[in-house]
Amino acid sequence: MLKLFETETLSLDKLTDEQTAIKVKDFSVWLNNSLVLNKINMRIPKNKITAMIGQSGCGKSTLLSSFNRMNELNQKYAFSGEVELDGRDIYNKKENVAKLRTKVGMVFQRPNPFPMSIYENVCFGLRIQGKTERRMLDDIVETSLRNAALWDEVKGRLFDSALLLSGGQQQRLVIARALALKPEILLLDEPTSALDPLTTLHIEELINQLKKTTTVVIVTHNMQQAARVSDYSVFLHQGELIEYSDSDSLFTMPAKKQTEDYITGRYG
Amino acid sequence: MRKFSAPEQQTISSFASGLSAAILLIVLMSLVLFIVLKGSAYFWPSQVFKVTTYDTPNSEVSVFVPSSVNIDEFNQALSDKLDAQFSNSALPMPLIVVEKVDAVYQISLNLGAIQYGKFQQVNTPNSERYQLAELNDVVADVAIFQNQLHDIQTNYLTVLHRKIALLNQSGVGEEAPARLKELEQFTYWQQKAEALRHKLASYNLIFIDAAGQPFDVLVKDIDHLFQPNVMSLFDKISYSGNKIIEFVSESPKQASTSGGVFPALFGTVLMVLLMAVIVAPFGAMAAIYLHEYAPNNMTTSVIRICVSNMAGVPSVVYGVFGLGFFVYTLGGSIDSLLFSDALPSPTFGTPGLFWAALTMALLTLPVVIVSTEEGLRRVPEGLRAGSYALGATKAETIWKTVLPFASPGIMTGVILAIARAAGEVAPLILVGAVKFAPSLPVDSEFPFLHLERQFMHLGVFIYDGAFHNQTNTQGSSMMFASCMLLLIIVFILNLFAIIVRNKLRDRYVRI
Ligand SMILES: Nc1ncnc2c1ncn2[C@@H]1O[C@H](COP(=O)(O)OP(=O)(O)OP(=O)(O)O)[C@@H](O)[C@H]1O
Ligand SMILES: [Mg+2]
Repeated sequence: MLKLFETETLSLDKLTDEQTAIKVKDFSVWLNNSLVLNKINMRIPKNKITAMIGQSGCGKSTLLSSFNRMNELNQKYAFSGEVELDGRDIYNKKENVAKLRTKVGMVFQRPNPFPMSIYENVCFGLRIQGKTERRMLDDIVETSLRNAALWDEVKGRLFDSALLLSGGQQQRLVIARALALKPEILLLDEPTSALDPLTTLHIEELINQLKKTTTVVIVTHNMQQAARVSDYSVFLHQGELIEYSDSDSLFTMPAKKQTEDYITGRYG
Repeated sequence: MRKFSAPEQQTISSFASGLSAAILLIVLMSLVLFIVLKGSAYFWPSQVFKVTTYDTPNSEVSVFVPSSVNIDEFNQALSDKLDAQFSNSALPMPLIVVEKVDAVYQISLNLGAIQYGKFQQVNTPNSERYQLAELNDVVADVAIFQNQLHDIQTNYLTVLHRKIALLNQSGVGEEAPARLKELEQFTYWQQKAEALRHKLASYNLIFIDAAGQPFDVLVKDIDHLFQPNVMSLFDKISYSGNKIIEFVSESPKQASTSGGVFPALFGTVLMVLLMAVIVAPFGAMAAIYLHEYAPNNMTTSVIRICVSNMAGVPSVVYGVFGLGFFVYTLGGSIDSLLFSDALPSPTFGTPGLFWAALTMALLTLPVVIVSTEEGLRRVPEGLRAGSYALGATKAETIWKTVLPFASPGIMTGVILAIARAAGEVAPLILVGAVKFAPSLPVDSEFPFLHLERQFMHLGVFIYDGAFHNQTNTQGSSMMFASCMLLLIIVFILNLFAIIVRNKLRDRYVRI
């Protein structure tokens, strides 16, 4: 399998706490009284790219949004277990959730630009933090949009409504919006599902660039993409973690039969 | 019964809905048309007919009667009326003759009264006889004298009067030279004024009424003089134009049968705007609480049902509440706390503009709450999630993303509220609207906006007109004109709000 970017691989079993960005311990989630995630245990390595794959409805988005407590917005939500970040359970009572979410950025499955100008969309998080200095905002807006491969298309109309952008442009805008906060961890839920191959490649390059400073968790239905960009991959099935290993082994010699069936397209 | 086939059902349902839409449209159009026709008749010059009634062979009574219809229709209406009155009566039907007399003048007086008569002569102090053609010169002379009189009154008499009052206050003796000097001055100017008044009183016009009796009208009292029966179309149009301007810019005269409705127009708009300013934030906040913060349980549902039911409470109940709670209780407390110097005469403890606006805000609150909630419900979940994911707190999310998105919903509520408040009468009478207010609630006196003052309102004005002017054609057509104006005002206010809503929609809501 073609591997675009070479990186050294750590063994998942021997990750030290310093090398761990997110530690998930016996984490279960119930939505609307039905079990969606069942006792997930995993360590997501720091400054690496981890891909999540699995059938539609298996709980990828739910697990992803457990990492920044976005799950809580659901009406009937219950959980057990822990998610640790920097050695601290983010589900503790005193956690500053707003601050947590500036550190753990997220791009949703469906693009959701705000009904504001493109510029204001990108600045939104910064403004919330009380940053108003024009020069700095201008700079961050430009870098973020460049990184999201959108700058050239919108530089002439930064102050037009973001709602006028095409679906793919909106998707890149929300990526830029998340990048503007320079999060430590970036959660991407199918970020390229609405993009053409070339732009997809550009976003993948960006993800690889981000790896220097950021831990990236990406959900994707595209096996090639998962194999191309990720260092590690996790396969979920019906709320259970089936297999988690470095992408090379997972995609070339999966340990479990279920994984093999899934990646070879025998179901799902 | 036979079952209809699908295409038949299609035809029947489209026909039925089309028919009801058409009926609705016709009803609406005829309502508007009726008001507009009746209302605009007020601005168009009426013709004047001489109506002579011969009760018995040797007693006749003649009057000049203004009418907005032509002589044939007038005759027809008259004979219909007589038939109805005398068909069952033993009395003989009187003979009535209607004529159109070209030479008759309509004399509109400054105070609003209208008289009709044939012109005979102009009298001036010099006893020269003027022709009507020279009336303009006479009017100019009279204006000069009136200005002089006004000048004397404001610049001399009032000033001297004040000085003398000051002397009285400081206890200056009856015979003190300073006082005598002022008194002498005062008498001098008073005599001058008296002479002017005398002079003005001798500029008059003599007219002859329908019965042939002469009567005189002082030139200074005349506002407008014209011959309605021989007006050209252009004259009629310019007359109407002036009348429209007068209508919207002047105060009512002659117990609200002529003049204008400016204070009522002003009061209506001001009250409605004040109400909108109060109800929009309150309604929006209540809706936000209900939709965003209140737990999703029984209590919230009960509150929601109560709010919707509040919209069905008869408006007079709100009026009574406003009077009992706002005016007497709240207003009374405000008075005893802040305006205790002025007691026992109340400042806020009496019906006034602010209480009226507050009562109307309460009355329209349910509408605003319901439509704001509707707007909030339409906010896409993704928008909130996006905001939270960027580190916004709940308040920041509501303030920066949810509220802008829901703002067209709020505006819809405000539009409905405006339409309702502009048309209400019953509660307004209780909490501050009056049929005649001596002063506007806004003037050049600090603090410029006098929230405690009573105000006039078009709805109340119309209501009053309907009661008191059934016999007076002039007055009742003024009522229709006010109705038309009210329609126009509601329309303009709504249009304005709709434009704002559409702007917000373009800006914040995906198309
Ligand atoms: N708000 C909710 N209430 C009840 N059940 C939910 C809710 N959200 C998701 N679920 C259920 O939880 C399960 C996992 O959903 P999730 O969105 O995590 O799936 P996913 O793996 O992201 O799927 P996809 O690849 O289609 O995005 C699904 O069965 C879904 O029906
Ligand atoms: Mg998903």
